Amino acid sequence: MQLIVNILVLAAIYALISCGYVLVYRVSRVLNLAHGELMMLGGYMLIVTAATISSNPIAAIAGALVLSLMVGGLVYVFLMRKMTGEMVLAAVLATVALGILLRGLVILFWSAQIQYPAQTLALSNPTLNLPGGASISFYSAMLIVATVVVYSTLFAFLRFGSWGIRMRAAGQSPLLAAQRGINLHGVYALAWGLSTLTGSLAGILIALDSGLSQTIVMIGLKAFPAALVGGLDSLVGALAGSLIVAAAEVLMIHYVDPLLADVVPFLVLIGMLVVRPWGLFGTREALDRV
Amino acid sequence: MSRHPPRASGYFRTSYAQDHALIQTRLEWLATAALAVALCGVPLIASPFLLDLATQVLLAIVGALALALLTGYAGQISLGHAGLLAAGAFTVGILFKEFNAPFWISLPAAAVTGAALGVVFGLPSLRLRGLYLAVSTLALHFVVVYLGGEYESKRGFSTGIMIDPPSLLGVSITSGRAWYLVMLGAAVVALLLAANILRSHTGRAWRAVHANETVAGALGINVAAAKLGAFVITSSMTAVAGGLFAYHRGFVSVEAFSLYLSIQYIAMIIIGGMGSLLGAVLGAIFVTLFPYAIEALVGMLPGSQRYAGSLFAVNYAAFGVVMILFLIFEPLGLVGIWRRLQSFFLLWPFKQRPVGGGRK
Amino acid sequence: MNSDTMLTVDKLEVVYKRAITAVQGISLSVARGQIVAVIGTNGAGKSTTLRAISGFIGIDDARVTDGSVTFKGQRIDNRPPHTIARLGIALVPEREKVFPNLSIAENLAAPVAARASRSERRRREELVYHFFPRLAELRARIGGLLSGGERQMLAIGSALVCHPELLLIDELSLGLAPVVVEGLMERLVQIRRELDITILLVEQSASVALAISDYGYVLENGRVVLDGDAARLKDHPEIKEFYLGQARAGDRRSYAEIKQYRRSRRWYG
Repeated sequence: MQLIVNILVLAAIYALISCGYVLVYRVSRVLNLAHGELMMLGGYMLIVTAATISSNPIAAIAGALVLSLMVGGLVYVFLMRKMTGEMVLAAVLATVALGILLRGLVILFWSAQIQYPAQTLALSNPTLNLPGGASISFYSAMLIVATVVVYSTLFAFLRFGSWGIRMRAAGQSPLLAAQRGINLHGVYALAWGLSTLTGSLAGILIALDSGLSQTIVMIGLKAFPAALVGGLDSLVGALAGSLIVAAAEVLMIHYVDPLLADVVPFLVLIGMLVVRPWGLFGTREALDRV
Repeated sequence: MSRHPPRASGYFRTSYAQDHALIQTRLEWLATAALAVALCGVPLIASPFLLDLATQVLLAIVGALALALLTGYAGQISLGHAGLLAAGAFTVGILFKEFNAPFWISLPAAAVTGAALGVVFGLPSLRLRGLYLAVSTLALHFVVVYLGGEYESKRGFSTGIMIDPPSLLGVSITSGRAWYLVMLGAAVVALLLAANILRSHTGRAWRAVHANETVAGALGINVAAAKLGAFVITSSMTAVAGGLFAYHRGFVSVEAFSLYLSIQYIAMIIIGGMGSLLGAVLGAIFVTLFPYAIEALVGMLPGSQRYAGSLFAVNYAAFGVVMILFLIFEPLGLVGIWRRLQSFFLLWPFKQRPVGGGRK
Repeated sequence: MNSDTMLTVDKLEVVYKRAITAVQGISLSVARGQIVAVIGTNGAGKSTTLRAISGFIGIDDARVTDGSVTFKGQRIDNRPPHTIARLGIALVPEREKVFPNLSIAENLAAPVAARASRSERRRREELVYHFFPRLAELRARIGGLLSGGERQMLAIGSALVCHPELLLIDELSLGLAPVVVEGLMERLVQIRRELDITILLVEQSASVALAISDYGYVLENGRVVLDGDAARLKDHPEIKEFYLGQARAGDRRSYAEIKQYRRSRRWYG
């Protein structure tokens, strides 16, 4: 029972992070390898808002989320916008460079030591007992709730929202989208903003749950196989992929070797690339377009 | 793709052999000879610190050349370069620990390991392109590093494997000068190998595959063989570089082969200039010396003691900024700057080369 | 200048990659409510002209280096494409006509229709179905699964949703069966009649284009070599010979004469 809870929590973490990969990839065909760092930055934003704006946890979290939405938009405006029209590889490498830059800056400003924003905000993290003898920490439960909320909102937004339809349109054919009067830069900036926002939400909840340091970048990187296994341009895929990767990881750690934790997602990824490179729910043409 | 920079007037190539020659004019011969003498003379005058820097640069050049061949010429993106270096280093380390193998066994063994891994890294490239390929090499990087870590922990070398320096004819190579010469030799061999591959059929096939796989296939090039070959050859080169690294350090540990190392190598070929051997060399020099330059700069700032602890963070940030600047403002890298300077002097007082006419 | 002129292209010059001049001094004018055809062979500069009007030349590293494009008295050359689209110029592109993974309804909802209200958007969607009833039947089908003719209908439809005053159509007949093209052309005439939309057609197939247009321009090598009323152009002997393939046997002239013809710049009509 505890295993199932662990799988669900990890899947929720991966899902919440990997939808950011999907959003950016789907709209601009760029793989954002700085997503882990942006997610970490979200956690540090919470420290900033907790110290400056308000010690009210909800206000602080909301402030941090707004900040990260802006950070995402700014990343597009000041960096990725310059990379449009360049090779895909160049754009991906720009995100890699951004990741290194962010990592350096975070250490410079906040040091490499682990921080506990939950203590700053005087929040406790009670353990909830579940039927079947399993237990879950409060913020882990919040992670699952957040994932459900974020995904249902995103589904509705992309399906029915006019900006959502425009985002999907821009992702399929940027040229045609511009001809139809869609402001591509606006759409791209929105995608980056939303992606950073959801990533930050994950970062904030993880930070509240178990502390904040540079190591959570690795969690962000491990969420990437989840996105790819499901299909890089599919939200449903990201959910399914997260569940698969999380299950594989938890089970391998439990039954085989804890050292495997950082490799299992990538092993799953390799397996998927060999069998079905476009992922469970991805579109096949996406592969040829790269 | 322009292989040769523009030349001043009065020089014509009259045969294919001439067109393919690595060194073409008398002036170039002189310059090459002068450079060779200068490079061999460095150990006589340089301080131990500078010599160590030069050795590191030369080692980085070997790895960067391999990556430049793979990514710049054959067009196969790899984010797993550190994994290949690790494979070479661990081959050397394991052979030394388990069998006490001398370097003339373990280095070729590293090359073989690299070649075998090249097949593994390369197989996905038969199905995948672009980003997806990059991702698969990234995943393999983690697998290789995991296997290395597993070996370390299972055999009880949890902090790393110590390796004795290699010995040649009973003399063990320990001094900075000796290492400098070894690495110089390795770098020269790698450079000649790369240059020769590029002017052979193989190199042309790689470039054709890079430009357009379908067309290359239609022209009778075995695309699969070209891709796999590119992976095998460059992985082998990289693994040997990893083996040399292990010997030079006298120590192997997975911590040395983080993703950041892969990124540094990619940065070398971006900053130097994609699709150019000179670019790989310049990039290797730039990236290797960069942290030392930053350290020196920070040292000059007032109150530098305060930053001493976070120097590596400054390094990270500055490195990220430099990479971004190159990607945005100088996608052709240092080589692009170099070529523009060359053209500027050659074409002066004109600004642009004639379009269509003239040799590009 | 005539106040009824909707679009004026004046001595337009477009240079690709700072090197290749694709269009050298083309002048066109399109009056309100007209259907104007621009015909020419490959490389004549038709598509470049169209892209210069719709703002899509920056992508190919091309620039308008001389001359101007004026839409309703406003200079629009070298402006970003989505702003041009919002001024009321809609393009039906040659390739990539529809969003392949969006349904027809979503394809029609995607364009930013000048910040229209929900009911207005609904009305425009219905308008498209009025012209193309076939699309209404397939409403939920995704763009990628449509046939060539249906795709062209959807492309015209999603241009109409933008509520344009000027419709630019690039190679309507490309890859379509003659009977389908004929149907689409009739539809264009109907659209012009009912919505009072001005249409600029760019075509390789001269007979198709001249059949429904009021005025025509013939481009060769980046220049306008002939222009005139469509009806008179159709009867022009050189148009007949080189574009309509109607020369009598034995009457065909040699290529040298064609070249001479290409060099000459004549006005007709």
